[in-house]
Parts: sequence; C-alpha cells; structure tokens
Amino acid sequence: MSFTHRLYILTLSIIILATFGLIFYYGYSYYRLPLEERFFYQGHNLLKPGGNWGHGFGIIGSVCMILGIVLYMARKRMRWLSRFGLLKHWLEFHIFLCTLGPVLILFHTSFKFGGLVAVSFWSMVAVFLSGVAGRFIYIQIPRTIEGRELSLNEVRDMKSNIGAVLSESYKLDEESYNLIIESTKKKVELYQKSLFLQITLTYFEDRKTIRNIKAAIKRNKLTRADRRKVVQLVNHDIKLNRKIDSLVTMQNLFKYWHVAHLPFAIVMMIIMVIHVAVTLVLGYRWIF
Amino acid sequence: MLILLFAIPAIAQISPGKLVSVHSHLEGISNCTHCHTLGDKVTNDKCLTCHAELKARIDLRKGYHSSAEVKNKNCTSCHSDHHGVTFQIVRFDREKFNHQLSGFPLTGAHAKKKCKDCHKAEFITNIKVKNKKFTYLGLTASCLPCHTDYHQKTITAPCLNCHGDNAFKPASKFSHASTKFPLLGMHQTVPCVKCHPVTVSNNVNFQKFAGVQFKECSNCHTDPHKGQFGLNCTSCHSEASFHTVKGISNFDHSKTRYALENKHLAVPCKSCHKNNVTDPVRHERCIDCHTDYHQGQLTKQGVMPDCSACHSTKGFTGAAFTIEQHNAANFILQGAHLATPCFACHKKQEKWSFRQIGIRCADCHKDIHEAYINQKFYPDNNCSACHNPYSWGDISFDHSQTRFSVTGAHTTISCRSCHFKKDSTGTEHQKFANLPANCSNCHKDNHNRQFESDGMTDCFRCHDAGLWKIINFDHNKTSFKLDGKHQNVACAKCHKTVTEQNITYVLYKIKDTKCTSCH
Repeated sequence: MSFTHRLYILTLSIIILATFGLIFYYGYSYYRLPLEERFFYQGHNLLKPGGNWGHGFGIIGSVCMILGIVLYMARKRMRWLSRFGLLKHWLEFHIFLCTLGPVLILFHTSFKFGGLVAVSFWSMVAVFLSGVAGRFIYIQIPRTIEGRELSLNEVRDMKSNIGAVLSESYKLDEESYNLIIESTKKKVELYQKSLFLQITLTYFEDRKTIRNIKAAIKRNKLTRADRRKVVQLVNHDIKLNRKIDSLVTMQNLFKYWHVAHLPFAIVMMIIMVIHVAVTLVLGYRWIF
Repeated sequence: MLILLFAIPAIAQISPGKLVSVHSHLEGISNCTHCHTLGDKVTNDKCLTCHAELKARIDLRKGYHSSAEVKNKNCTSCHSDHHGVTFQIVRFDREKFNHQLSGFPLTGAHAKKKCKDCHKAEFITNIKVKNKKFTYLGLTASCLPCHTDYHQKTITAPCLNCHGDNAFKPASKFSHASTKFPLLGMHQTVPCVKCHPVTVSNNVNFQKFAGVQFKECSNCHTDPHKGQFGLNCTSCHSEASFHTVKGISNFDHSKTRYALENKHLAVPCKSCHKNNVTDPVRHERCIDCHTDYHQGQLTKQGVMPDCSACHSTKGFTGAAFTIEQHNAANFILQGAHLATPCFACHKKQEKWSFRQIGIRCADCHKDIHEAYINQKFYPDNNCSACHNPYSWGDISFDHSQTRFSVTGAHTTISCRSCHFKKDSTGTEHQKFANLPANCSNCHKDNHNRQFESDGMTDCFRCHDAGLWKIINFDHNKTSFKLDGKHQNVACAKCHKTVTEQNITYVLYKIKDTKCTSCH
C-alpha cells in the first residue's frame, strides 16, 4: 500500500472519527437526556431529528449511503466504469460513505429508536455490521491488484522461499533459522471442524510464533531494520498460510454474504423512502 | 426480511414517539391529521380546534396566549409532543413566569401564592374547563370565584373598590368619606367593629357593612342621659368629642340629676367637671367635690355623715346642726350653753374642732378656783360640784363640808361676799382655802374690839347669825346685872356713843360701873 493511499485511508478514517467525535461531544448532554426532557434542552431545536442539525444529519447521512451504494454498485456492474480506478479503492470509498452515513443517521435518530423508521435504522445497522463482516471475509480472500480473486494455486505460488531469503540476506544461527522455517510451515495439528475455532487457535498460535521468532532473531544481533524485515517476512508467510487454509471456506461465505448484505440494504432504503415521504407529506423540510 | 417488514406495522408505526398521556386518544396512524396538516406540519388551527376554550380566550385577546410573548408563535414551539407518555407538555418556570402576561398581574399577597393555590378546579366556574385534569385556564380576574364572599352578597360594589391585594384586612382602598356617613372628628378613631360588629350568619363570622343605620346617634350610641335631654344629641355634642359640649353657658343643669342651687350656681363648670363636662361626676355626697374641712372628725362608726347634715348650698358658714342633734351626742347643751355660739367651744384654735374637745367644764372654761379651792370640794376640777350651766352665780355648794357652816343670814349672801375681796387697788382676790372663820374676817367690828378675847371677837356671843339680833347676850352675866329699873332703861342711856381716835362707837365695856358714873 502506497503512502498516498495510506494517507487517503487515514483521511477518510479521520473524517468518520472526527464526525462521530465532534457530534457526540457537542450533543452528548442532549442525547443522554431522557426523551421527556429533551424538548426542554437548549439545543433541542438543533439536535432533534427534525432540527437544523439533526435533519441535516439525516439528509447528509442518507445521501452518503445512497451514493456509497449506488457508486460502488455501478462500478461493479457497469463495465465502462471499470477503467475508473481500482475496485478496491471504490470499495474503500464505499465503506467510507457507508460508515459515515450510518454515523450521521445515528445522530439523526438522536438515539431514539421507535416507529416504522426504526426498522430502517436497524436494517442499516445490519447492513453496516454485515459490511464489517464482509470486509473481514473480503480480506481473507487474496486478490489481484485489480481486485480479482486468486485461485488456490495462485495463492500458493505467492509463498516465497523464506529459507533461501534468510540464508542469503541474514546471518542467523542454525537454531533461529530452523525455528523460522518450522514456524512458517502449515500447522495441520490445529485444524478443527469448526472454522471459527480453527481461526482462533491459529491466530493465537501465530502470535506466539512471532514472539518466539522476535526473541530468536534478537540473539543474532541483527540491525533493527533487518529484524523488522525478517518479522514482516514471517508475518506475510504465516498470513498466507491462514488464507490458504480458509480460502475455500471464505469464498463460500462471501457468496452467502452477498445474499444477506443486499436485502438489508434494500429494506433500509425502502423504509427510508417511506420515512422521507411521510416527512415531506407532513410538511417537514430542512433548510430548503 | 419481507416477513419482518410486514409483521412490524403493529409496533412500527410512522409516529416518531408516544404521545403524551392527555393526547393518548390521538395515537394511531389514522389520527395523524388530527394534529398534522399535510404539507404544513402542525398548525395552530389544528391545536385550537380541540382546545376551543383556549381559542375563545385568544379570540377575545385575553390571557397569556394573547400576550406579545406568545402571539404569532406556533403552539408546538412550547407544547411539542411525541416525547413520551409522561412528557410535560405544559412546562415552564413557575417561579419566573411573568403573570402579568396573563392579564392578571400578581401583586401583593397573590405574588406569594403557589400556582396550585389558585389554579385548582374549585375556583373554576366553567364546567367544561373545571372537569379537566389540570389546567391554567378557567380563572377570572374577579375575586369571588376564588375568595369567599365575606360580605355574603350584602355589598354589590367590586371588591377592589375597597380591598387591596396585600391583605383582605384592612380594606386599604376603602374610604369612609365616599359613603353616606363620612367619618368626622372622633368617629375617625373608632375601630370599625364598634359600628360594624362581627356576628355569625350562615354559621360563619359576618360583619355587617351595608344597611347599617346611622341617621340617629342612638343607632350606635347609648343615650347616657336616658332621654333627659331629648333625642337630638347634636344640640349639645359634636363628632369632635362627646365631651365637648356646645353652648355650655346655656346648659340647663336642672335637667341633670343634680340641679345647681345657691352658691353652686356661681361655681365654674370646671370646678366640678375637672376633665370633660360629660364625664360622670359623683354628686351623691358633698365630699365628692368638696374637701372635708373637718378632716373626718365627724366620722362615726366608720360612716361620715354628709355635709348637708349641717351645711347647705347657701354657704359653708352657719350650720344647720340643731341643739337636739347636739344633745343626742355626749355633751348635752343646757343653760347658758344653749346660748353659747358653736365656735366658743368648737373653734378654740384656728380650725374648727368637733372631736376630743372634752366635755369637762375645764376643757372649755378656765378654772379660776384652782389653787384656791381644795380639790376635795370639786374633784377632777368638776365645776358642777358648785356651779350649773344655767347660772354661774347660782352656787349649790354644801358649805357644811367645810369647817364653816353657813347659816342664818350667811345663807342669803353671795359667796363672793366672803370669798372675794378687793384689795386697796380695787383688784378682787378670791380666797376659799384657809379663809378664817372668825367674824371679824368679814365683818367690821363696830364695837371697836371691846369684846375681843385673845385677839378674837366672837360675835355670836351676843348676836345670832340670822337677823343679827342680840339674842345670846345676857346682861346679867356681866359684871353689871340689870335689875330693877335698869331692866327697862334703853341701852343707849347707859352705853353712850363715843369717839376715840376718830373712831365712833358705842361703848359697852364701861369700866366705871358706879352709879355716879351714870347718874
């Protein structure tokens, strides 16, 4: 990941966190009040769902989500758009908009969840959570730089000859060398019937392995930069091991995930439209 | 998801929240437009369609909702809803609420009251409003819906004509001057309750203000004169003071229970009526006004007789005390005492004295015989042993008590003849004790001491005490017996008058008894 891309991701994250933080900081004393007391709060007319800010949160949040969904879906489904940027980046922007949107919607509700529109809200929550889960599954499936999924063989080819790299570039004692080589091998003994259990056990085992390797290479008096490179090398190899182990499962999960993620989004959108329609019918406008 | 979507309507309504309890009957999707106007949020008209009693007030431009603070505001700016069943749809700072905006500024005692003291159902007359669970509507600016009519409909004027709002009592805005009976003079100081007494009417205290009779003074005042001076009190009295009497100089005192007579007629009013002429003055006894000159001397058994027993209004001098009254006392006036002026006995000093002046003669009279007469003849200086009050010279002394028994002519002469003698200067001197009993002490010896024997001449050897006749002389017992012719010879034949040493006397002791001395 390039520095520019990292900065881009960081910026998007900061926007989300700052939005959440600022609104929460400003509105905390209002949102924490019981519903019966809020009307008498000084900032009620700003922060209430129909207030200048609250209503704005709803509108901007909805626009964010609509844009996030529509743009990403368009990018994925319209071939002529494939030339505009990497799908991965579109996904990241989709995640940004569809995270910022729910954050704003959350404050639009002023933490008051009731009525028909609550279905829309909880659907949004479901879409968001499923998005988080989808994102996890997504990163478990190695892809090409354009975002295409790699086959199992392609993934296996990605594994580097770590033994050759270590012996050529770093002077390690035999004990440390063997430890690293042994650690990057697949740990069949951890395979479980439950994928969740397997992932969990593997995760903790890998953490332990990394700690052992860090301790081993420390004894070999490598420079700090070399030590970091060796750990990165081992980390990459271990992660690849995990992905190879769960690739098929993750690919299957990802198929089912689409079935869940999309309907929640549709329900959310339908009720949101009803909600907006009722609001407009009853005469509630924003700043327009 | 579709199942979920369609199963939810029961709970997932369009409503953004529960309505407040008083609006709970408007819950439900079919009721939205009861309050909401399509395309125009919640309009005041919608609110006021239900809240007609408030609309009526606004239409009349009365009450808080017609004030500048509320006018042109949306109802929802203060009374929002969908905030839960227990939401306070009417909430404001009761302590800071400017009640003046309601058209009824809270002043005086009202300002100290809590909202609920007045805003309660029992003070609301409109039945529709009264039946509401709680409302600030329904009260009027008039007093009686909230306050009990203390006057029990006897007064028709507005309460505020008389009463302020600080306290019901006193009626600070009331002015008696505006009534048909303005208070003048002393009436201004009389407590209200004196003329408007508190009674009980309809089982509660009631003070009558309307319909109080006032045309006659006697409507309120008791006539202390009991009609003596007629019914027109103002002919003498005014409001300035009951005690200040008009035209006092013309006052007919005879109409009172004490008519003025004689000396009293000239006495200034103030002499008796020290403070106010109308103040009751005791007049049953003279000492009610007069000082007892006698300083209680005449008090008898604790009771002092009234001055009028002796004196009259004609003057203090000259008592009407009778001799009979005097004689009923310890000292009975008899004889010369009857003619003796009172002061002779009762005013020996500067002041009159009636008590303990004594009843003995010596208490008034000087005992001139003291040191002259032996006390055994008039014990305790009691003059009455010899004298009586009828005549001082009428002596009734038993002289036989003395060694000189008064007989004969002595009984006819005054005591003074023997007991009082004038000296050469003419001054009289009395002598009782040791007064010699021999005759020559009183009588002149005409015989020039011819019969003196041992320095004394006993007259009774010849004379008797009565007629001074010579009854005891027997010439035969002398040295010259009368016999023969001598018995018939006049005495003077033999006993010649002689003058010797300028003393002329009859010579009885004839030394020469020879015949030739005569013959």
